[in-house]
Amino acid sequence: MSPKKPPRAEPRTRDVKPRPKSSATASKRVVVEVPARTKGRKPTARRAAKVDAPSGVTPEPTPARETVASALLEADELIAANRRSRDAAESASTEGAAAAQPEARTSPSREEIQSRITELEGRLDRMLEAASQGSLPSLDADEDGDGDDAWPSQVAATHAAAPPSPATDELPEPPTERFPSPAPLPRPSVPAAPLSARSLGGEIEPTVFDTARELLSTNYYLRKWGRLGMRNRSEEVDDFGYDPVYEARVKPFLDFLYSTYFRVEAEGVEHVCEAGRCLLVANHSGTVPLDGLMIRAAVKRLHPRERDVRWLAEDFIFHFPFLGSLTTRLGAVRACQENAERLLRQEALVAVFPEGMKGTGKLFRERYRLQRFGRGGFVKLALRTRTPIVPVAVVGGEETQPLLARLDALGKPFGLPYVPVTPTFPLLGPAGLMPAPTKWRMRFGAPIVVPGSPDDADDELLVGRLAEEVRGTIQEMVDELLGARKNVFLG
Amino acid sequence: MAKDDPSTSLRGSAPVIAVTGASSFLGANLIGLLEEDERIGRIVAVDTKAPSTAGRKTRSYEVDLTEPSAEARLVEIFVAERATTLVHLAFLGSPHRAASWAHEYESVGTMRLLVAATQAKIAKLVLWSQTLLYGATPSNPNFLAEHQPLRATPDEPYFADKIAAEAEAARFAQRAPGTVLTVLRTAPILGPTVDNYVARYLSHRLVPTMLGFDPLVQFVHEIDAIAALKLAVDRDIAGTFNIVGDGVLPLSTVIKLAGRIAMPLPHLLADPLVAAAWMAQLADAPPSFLRYLRFLCVADGALARRRLGFRPAYTTREAVVDYASAQRLRDLKLLQEVS
Repeated sequence: MSPKKPPRAEPRTRDVKPRPKSSATASKRVVVEVPARTKGRKPTARRAAKVDAPSGVTPEPTPARETVASALLEADELIAANRRSRDAAESASTEGAAAAQPEARTSPSREEIQSRITELEGRLDRMLEAASQGSLPSLDADEDGDGDDAWPSQVAATHAAAPPSPATDELPEPPTERFPSPAPLPRPSVPAAPLSARSLGGEIEPTVFDTARELLSTNYYLRKWGRLGMRNRSEEVDDFGYDPVYEARVKPFLDFLYSTYFRVEAEGVEHVCEAGRCLLVANHSGTVPLDGLMIRAAVKRLHPRERDVRWLAEDFIFHFPFLGSLTTRLGAVRACQENAERLLRQEALVAVFPEGMKGTGKLFRERYRLQRFGRGGFVKLALRTRTPIVPVAVVGGEETQPLLARLDALGKPFGLPYVPVTPTFPLLGPAGLMPAPTKWRMRFGAPIVVPGSPDDADDELLVGRLAEEVRGTIQEMVDELLGARKNVFLG
Repeated sequence: MAKDDPSTSLRGSAPVIAVTGASSFLGANLIGLLEEDERIGRIVAVDTKAPSTAGRKTRSYEVDLTEPSAEARLVEIFVAERATTLVHLAFLGSPHRAASWAHEYESVGTMRLLVAATQAKIAKLVLWSQTLLYGATPSNPNFLAEHQPLRATPDEPYFADKIAAEAEAARFAQRAPGTVLTVLRTAPILGPTVDNYVARYLSHRLVPTMLGFDPLVQFVHEIDAIAALKLAVDRDIAGTFNIVGDGVLPLSTVIKLAGRIAMPLPHLLADPLVAAAWMAQLADAPPSFLRYLRFLCVADGALARRRLGFRPAYTTREAVVDYASAQRLRDLKLLQEVS
């Protein structure tokens, strides 16, 4: 560890707060996008300039420097005046610099200054273009011709050199002395033909050479790649990694699953609390469980408040490559007491599947017989956080992948609890995991407010009894839905 | 910070703060802060070399914690300077290949230091630790609280030594009842000037990741980490606190924000590959750090907010962006390293 220059740390962290904002925006611009060359640097300024000076530009390679310099200086002072007038407007006291100068001169109207700046920028642009034909040495840094590189250094140099000017229209010094008379210019080595369009003051047209050079530079591909990478993700995710941009991107597929493939019909969604914490407790089904996603979609579509459901998913999903990051982005959270409690304390709507792995791992002949509800963790959770429980029955999920056998020993090397054997799965390879297009029905029951205080969460007997009650309610609802069903695929 | 706070340090008019690891990044910056605070009487800098930020109030002592004679020397220094508070920052910010030296420095060095501190009757110890020690496992809750066990793999000396140092500090607090022990577990520190394995990891054009894994990660900005240390020095609040920035980001987004390209490797292949690269001095960290690229290790900063009054100024995202803006200048050789 070598000592570094201290980063101006301050004990009162609140004082430091404004800094990240500016740096964040500054580097966001850097990271996100470098303006494409063909668009030109400031299209608006260029357009404005054309309106102001319809006669176009007269290409004057030799005196261009002086003109550029004076224009830069003028722009510099305009900007300074603009800042002064803004400061004066903001500060309540009119003494000091503002008082020393007559009102009419120091603060011309904002629009006036803006328009003059725009005009000057336009002039500068045209002069730079004209100069680029003569390849002025001072502009050599700007290799790619879009002005990006030369511009800041030029302005910075002038800023550094220019003395603080007292008023807008007083030029303190003739600026020419800072720029030595131009030496005989070296002939441009690039062919003049592709550049001639620029010298006539027209829009910069991408030439074959430009395009080729752009396509040959690695930077171009890195930029494209970076943009592709951020395309389908948010820059910020919530505490549990839910990414709304990503979900919006896969939404068409989820919509297809919901309305076309499984033709989900849900009733009683109005039982879900309008606002505040709420716990959905549902039966679990499917070798590749999709019920969390479908419950989320149902509530999002049918609930009057379009609430977001976060469902708790089994651990093994997070051991497994791709699955974990995918479900996390779509709103799943690893099932554990700490996570559930944190979500409920954030007044979220949480769906849990207390059957857990026993639910998804039911054999086909055991279908729709609800397994033991864990150790009643969800009841403890509801007691501790005083959350109402909404029972949910899902019918149709069990038949998507009828489980014939479980191979527990084979799952170990893959980090899976077991390897499922379905009529199609190991037989047809990964494609065999595709769910059958069964008809799904969901029923949301009336909310159950668990009686008891947070202290009762330690009472195992009470917790067990309450869990069993909720299980019975869901089993009843499942049985009702099954009784009404005539066909697995048609409903 | 808050002058009317009852917990503000009031023993004596001007406390004497001893800082070990004084020339490390955190040490030097903390000393810079303490120098500016007029309530601090004197700073005793203990390290193998004097910190660059040493000023009027700082007295530097060259002590090598890996030497057996360090213990007696430290007792002498602490007694002579009448040190009241010890800030123990003599830990490695990045994994080191010389594991046995690192063990001497961190684990045994902490033992020597704390034995000396007990003898010199130092009443308060602030210890730097890291949230890394919780370990990255798929069974972690999304936000690890301070009471969670430290489950980082003991096979990696970088973790084992720090866990041992924390245990040593707990024993120190037990030995002398009434001492205040504040343990600050910082998330990986990131910022424009800090140079650690995280900053180096993100400085490569191609950043290795684990194929199919995209864990949520969390950083703390260097300014916040230093401010938290200062806060712990100012206030006598015993306990262990996670010092983290707000918010989490997927690792892939962090890499994008840093302007890098992720290079996914299958994790079964990556382990021997990184082990070889680490031995060949090509990797920034040993293969045991690969787990942090697969699984969650995110800590909950609520306790520090509530009890310590620590409010991070930078979120995780802002820390990454701030790092990236400086790193970009370093990439272009526009920012000179000060060393």
